[in-house]
Amino acid sequence: MNLAHSVRKSQPLRDLKRIGVALLLGATLASARHAAADCLDDIPRLPNGRPDFSGIWQTTSAADYDLEPHAHRHDAPPGPGVIEGHFIPYLPEALEQRKENFENRHTDDPTLKGFTPGVPRMIYYPAPFQIFQRERDLIIVQQFGHSARTIHTNGTQHPDDLYDLWMGDSRGTWEGDTLVVDVIGFNGRTWLDRSGNYHSDQLHVVERWRFLDKNTIEYTATLEDPKVYARPWTLSVILHRHREKNFQLIEDYRYTLEYADYYPPKPDE
Amino acid sequence: MTHADKGRAALRRAALSAAVAVAALAANDASAQESRWETSYPIIESGEWTGPRTRDGQPDISGHWSNTIANHNNFTDPQGGIPNDPNARPLGPREERAPSRVTDPPDGKLPLQPWAKKKVEEFRIGFHNPVYPGHVEPNARCAPGGIPKSLYWHGYEIAQYPGYVVFFFDNGTRIIHLDDKPHLPENIKLWNGDSRGRWEGNTLIVEVRNVNGKALFGRSGEFISENARILERYIFSPDGKRYNYVATFDDPTVYTRPFTVTIPARKWTEEDPATGWHFDVIDAKHDGDERIVEVFERVCVENNGGFGMPAAKP
Repeated sequence: MNLAHSVRKSQPLRDLKRIGVALLLGATLASARHAAADCLDDIPRLPNGRPDFSGIWQTTSAADYDLEPHAHRHDAPPGPGVIEGHFIPYLPEALEQRKENFENRHTDDPTLKGFTPGVPRMIYYPAPFQIFQRERDLIIVQQFGHSARTIHTNGTQHPDDLYDLWMGDSRGTWEGDTLVVDVIGFNGRTWLDRSGNYHSDQLHVVERWRFLDKNTIEYTATLEDPKVYARPWTLSVILHRHREKNFQLIEDYRYTLEYADYYPPKPDE
Repeated sequence: MTHADKGRAALRRAALSAAVAVAALAANDASAQESRWETSYPIIESGEWTGPRTRDGQPDISGHWSNTIANHNNFTDPQGGIPNDPNARPLGPREERAPSRVTDPPDGKLPLQPWAKKKVEEFRIGFHNPVYPGHVEPNARCAPGGIPKSLYWHGYEIAQYPGYVVFFFDNGTRIIHLDDKPHLPENIKLWNGDSRGRWEGNTLIVEVRNVNGKALFGRSGEFISENARILERYIFSPDGKRYNYVATFDDPTVYTRPFTVTIPARKWTEEDPATGWHFDVIDAKHDGDERIVEVFERVCVENNGGFGMPAAKP
């Protein structure tokens, strides 16, 4: 949690911050900070006071092309990467698998078959998604296959008897205005991007969602997977609210395309 | 979670439950049967809504719902089994079964144009041993159930948010926009169409455009075209426990006249046992004493195992 931006910060911390600002930066910056604080007070909230992330969101990053830093190539624009420390700490054998995935990415990327991008890829997949939020949960609806992911925020816990899920089992708690989501129970059949970065069914994701302002979310995900990574690692992207007039999701059931032309029946020629 | 996974999960749950509560399970089955096979249903009049409201003023009807008369085996004889089923059980008199979902024309038959009637008859033969791809019910390959079939294929959740009513089906989501934004451009055709709704008293009125006509009405093969327009009325009972879906379909490409479809539905709550079909929920793990139910992962993208009658290939 960024304490400076939390409206629930404790009084001593607030005082400390105020003193620090006054001493080090002077009156001009203090008033700028005040403006920033007003901005965060301006974020949408549910009746229970929690931040309300409802809306249609999308990243502008090149994360889905390749999470790691990469120069241009025929199938991807260049990108600086979105990972703390730049590279995924693969175990040696896993790195070989990732290289193989990269070579075969034009056929093996699960999203090409219409499979759901999974977690966390669905968040930075280059298409809008919509969050429908209640006090008990957030349901994230993608355009892609309209698979709907539920993040429970009603104090419930991961089931004892957990199954292999495409999007994992998501349980969220609030740390001030930051939504922290613990996700386990994956099936290991999704990738992290179209360049072949991947995970196993042992994946454990901890997401952190927080408003930077009312139209911008900072999203971070820490990924742990003892079968694939040498240590946990963290990615971060910014999500922007779609504010175009009349913008809406459009369903994308691309996996039906191979047989869609057979329906509906047409009059014989 | 795939349907196969879901089946295994259900089996595991059933095995666990059986060890401790055989009687309760039997009660579940009886409850499911009773609800699934209602042979008649009450008419619900449109009128005022005096029940609870959501924070943006909508009648609060959110929760788990399911139709009360049958699944998608047969559209106009809902409890009559799949047409031409080689393993069909003998049927009693027609009046012992639930009425046709077609409530206008009054004879309960769809006013199909002759060419379309022929296509439906061909489907009803081909369905049982499909060699032509169009004779597979597309829902069996994880295509969305579309309109109206999603309303009688498994239970579903209706959730309400400021400006939206959202249907979360087992595969696919319908977002009803309650504002007056225009429909999508006509060339965009969708399995679930594009929906604009408004509340009038106890009735949610939804205009549907942009359907792609690809979702069949069920295993009896009826269909609409991409030119269909649908006006839906979801009429909720004063106690909030039931609604009737009464929708007018207008599709001059396939039909000789508009027709009306009626689908009765009832609400399922924490008071009800899970059934695995109408009310496919699990009890959430938590520290409190009250029952909290939740739904499995909502995804159906790779139904490679196949399910759903002859389309299933081991």
